[in-house]
Amino acid sequence: MNTHPYLRAYLAGVFVPTLVLPLLLTFVVIRLVHQVPIPVEQALIFPMAVVPLLWGLWNMLWLVSAKRTHLPIGLHGAILPLLLMPIGAKLATCVGMLAIGDYGVTWFQTAHVPYALIAPMFLAALVGYYLVWKYVVGFLNRVLGIA
Amino acid sequence: MKEDKQDRMEMLLKRSVPPVEADQEPSRDLWPATLRGLEMRLDTRPPAVPWFDMALAGGVLGLIALFPASIPVFLYYL
Repeated sequence: MNTHPYLRAYLAGVFVPTLVLPLLLTFVVIRLVHQVPIPVEQALIFPMAVVPLLWGLWNMLWLVSAKRTHLPIGLHGAILPLLLMPIGAKLATCVGMLAIGDYGVTWFQTAHVPYALIAPMFLAALVGYYLVWKYVVGFLNRVLGIA
Repeated sequence: MKEDKQDRMEMLLKRSVPPVEADQEPSRDLWPATLRGLEMRLDTRPPAVPWFDMALAGGVLGLIALFPASIPVFLYYL
C-alpha cells in the first residue's frame, strides 16, 4: 500500500462531501415537485464541484505537510472553512442565493440569519469540520494506509 | 594462471558462505508474532471519543436544533 498516496488522500478527502450530495439533490427534487420558486440548483455548483475538490486537495495538503508541521488532522480540517466560507458566500451572492441586508443575511431567499448569529454559526462550522476531519477523514486515512 | 584464480575464488566463496543444513528450523514458532504484527497494522478502529469532542458535537447539534433554518446552509458548505 505504498503506491499513489496522494490519490488515496484525495479519495479519502472527497468521501464526506460525496455523501452529502444526495441530500442536496433532495432539495432540488422537493423544489421541482412542489414548484417552489427558489432556484436552489443554481447554488449547487459549489457543494457539487468546489467543496469535494477542496476537501480532496486539503487532505493531500495534510499528507504533504503533516510530517513537518505535526498538525493533527482535526485542526487541519478546521482551517478549511476559513477558505471555503468566503468562496461559498461569494458564489452564492453571484447566483442570488445569498442576500446581504441591513440586519442580517438571507440564504436561499428563505433562511434569514441575523448578524449576531453569524459568529456562533461560523464557530459551529469550525467545530463540525474539526470533528468530521478528526473522526471520518482520519479514519479513512488510516483505512487507506496513509495515516 | 586463469584456472588458479578460479580455484582460489571458489575456495574463498566456500569459506565465506556457510553450508545450509538440511531440516534447519527456527528455534520457536514465528507465526503468532507475525499475526500480532499484522493485527496491529490492520487495527483501524476509531479512537475513543474524548469528553470535550462529545461536548463540541452536542453544542453543534444544539445550535442546529435551535436554528433549523441553518441546516441548508451547513449542507451547502459540506
